Amino acid sequence: MPNSGFEVLLSVNNLRRLAVGLGGTLEIALISVAIGLALGIFYGLLLTSKNRLVYGLCRLYLEAFRIVPVLVWLFLFFFGSAIVLGVNVEGFFVSVAVFSLWGCAEMGDLVRGTVTAIPLHQWQSAEALGLDKWQVLRFVIIPQALRKITPPAVNLVTRMVKTTPLVVFVGVTEVLRVGKQIIEFNMMKNPLASFWIYGFIFMVYFLICWPVSRFSKKLEERWAF
Amino acid sequence: MGLLKGKVILEIAGLKKCHGSKVILDGLDLEVTRGEAVVVIGPSGCGKTTLLKCINGLESHQAGKILIDGREAGSPGFGWHEARQKIGMVFQSYDLFPHMTVMENILLGPVRVQKRGREEAAAEALALLERVGLADRKDDFPRQLSGGQKQRVAIVRALSMKPELMLFDEVTASLDPEMVREVLDVMLQLARAGMTMLIVTHEMEFARVASDRVVFMDGGMIAEEGKAGDFFREPKTERARRFLKTFYFRAD
Amino acid sequence: MRGLTERLYKAGILLQLLAFVLGLAFTQAAFAAEPGSLAAIKAAGKIRIAVFADKPPFGYLDESGKNVGFDLVIARRVVKDLFGREDAVEWVLLEPANRVEYLEANKVDIVFANFTVTKARAEKVDFALPYMKVALGVVSPDRNVIRDIKDLRGKKLIVIKGTTAETYFAEKHPEVELLKFDEISEAFQALTDGRGAGLSNDNTFLFAWANTNKGYTVGVPSLGSLDTIAPAVRKGNKELLAWLNGEIRNLGKEKFIHKAYAEALAPYYGNSVDPEDLVIEGGEFR
Repeated sequence: MPNSGFEVLLSVNNLRRLAVGLGGTLEIALISVAIGLALGIFYGLLLTSKNRLVYGLCRLYLEAFRIVPVLVWLFLFFFGSAIVLGVNVEGFFVSVAVFSLWGCAEMGDLVRGTVTAIPLHQWQSAEALGLDKWQVLRFVIIPQALRKITPPAVNLVTRMVKTTPLVVFVGVTEVLRVGKQIIEFNMMKNPLASFWIYGFIFMVYFLICWPVSRFSKKLEERWAF
Repeated sequence: MGLLKGKVILEIAGLKKCHGSKVILDGLDLEVTRGEAVVVIGPSGCGKTTLLKCINGLESHQAGKILIDGREAGSPGFGWHEARQKIGMVFQSYDLFPHMTVMENILLGPVRVQKRGREEAAAEALALLERVGLADRKDDFPRQLSGGQKQRVAIVRALSMKPELMLFDEVTASLDPEMVREVLDVMLQLARAGMTMLIVTHEMEFARVASDRVVFMDGGMIAEEGKAGDFFREPKTERARRFLKTFYFRAD
Repeated sequence: MRGLTERLYKAGILLQLLAFVLGLAFTQAAFAAEPGSLAAIKAAGKIRIAVFADKPPFGYLDESGKNVGFDLVIARRVVKDLFGREDAVEWVLLEPANRVEYLEANKVDIVFANFTVTKARAEKVDFALPYMKVALGVVSPDRNVIRDIKDLRGKKLIVIKGTTAETYFAEKHPEVELLKFDEISEAFQALTDGRGAGLSNDNTFLFAWANTNKGYTVGVPSLGSLDTIAPAVRKGNKELLAWLNGEIRNLGKEKFIHKAYAEALAPYYGNSVDPEDLVIEGGEFR
């Protein structure tokens, strides 16, 4: 296929570089998802607090990550740490920190919404059985919340995976950047390279995100009540 | 079973409960003796449900005392956690835990709160389910049950804690008419077996048949009480007469 | 590729504001430390140089992932003259929008990334002597070559949104009708489809494109004001700046930039381009 552009995908070197880039992206995504979701559960419970100070501080954190784009947070952490504190933090750690904090904020709000959506009489009937507050949470509220929260949480995970390419702006080598490097290298002699490279990356992201959302669908069906 | 026969299991003295400036319970006194089935009736908003929720501490009260077996519930030596294990409660809304099977619903309290062995508790739960005719549904989820079946399971769930007192809060009010009977039958059976019960209901016929005593509440206080037969035949107060009249008028 | 650069640069304005506010109180302290001094670099045993990774022919990765390009040829020589060997360097790959910030945050010592000298940037970084000059150009089909702006009367000129070319024609030649596109690839597609008589962008970029796309010529090779391209160091890093300027003057004596042109740019631009249109030796730019 002369000049169809497909040959960019036949180069072992190109594929290897794309794989390395993908590895970098996924590493950040997976670590951040794990940290963000775990912390988000506790943060979400804090958000249901009736203490005004606790709630206020938690709310402030959530809104900060809602209002300010992730890209700006990346820049703030990456350059801010260097300019203000004089510490040079690597792009990788900046990315993990920002994506974890973002994931935690969004997850917390999902947890809060789910917990408060569980009817009051679920609390009351559990308490009437003599369960203490922690037992009510552990056996009644959290299991129900977990089932309700799975679909939006999976949505959040795929959103995080799809947003991680932003880490390129703090110097992390990630798959879209590698793709662009290959495209630009081939631009003059192979203008269609972009079609194949982006097509390939699209497929890869699809193959990552699709099973995840299938999995959540399956859980939803099994947990339906 | 006479009015004052047996040991007093629940004693409420001067119970007062306010929501802001609104008085819900206004210095209410009530005694229930072991083995007694007491029906509480009264116009809506008179504080019946609040009374039940105060008894097991789901709602706090501002003044007065609630004594269970002579000990004040919610006091340092006898917290709500302990008190609730002696009191079973069934609510108007279907309050089964939707993510658990019937059996898991029933076992949660005995196993997690009372730390009883799962096998022994399960055997007992099965026997209780048998009594309400639902043994074959033990592995179903609440969504697979009808409203009446759910309420029967809820009663079993409360009984599985071996309570000394059962509270029923309009448990048939949300049910379709054809399912009311099956739930009332279970309650009648319980009453005849000597369970101490405090029942808030609008089922007058049931009150007449099943209860030892009727308490008529109005304005956050007990306006009148007496044996079921006497009360329904010849209410002493004008307020009770009026209440019963509107009720029967509606029923005609 | 100055056009894209400008666009991304604008996107970074918000960040700059934030960084400025954050940095304001601490700037003095941070600068006093001067961690990027010549002595510090020598002590570290390597220099951190920011380059592009996807901007051929200036800075890009070849098939095996090695950093190559015009900027890299010159930068490697600079490293060699500083340390005596070419590999005493850490290549930091960055995006056009971040070049100023990388210096401000002291994440690199020198930016060698097709960095166009502008007044706004010169307030934030110190530019060394230039090694290249660029202007706008217009590329058009051989059968109907545009050799002058007058040739564009009644015709459409293709530009990419947010680029210098767009601003230049809007301000200086409002009589030319512009056909604007968001993406470079779209714009060139429009040119090959014949939707416009010509396409204007940085001349260096057009030279490269015309060289590989037969049937097109850069009929207008130099238009508008000439911009220069220079390496830059952190603002106030006088020692490194002075050394770098000396190095660029020395390289001029042996016409090294011409050698770099022959090695990295000529294969891209072909023989039709006069190197003198682009190369600056010894930092001497009239």
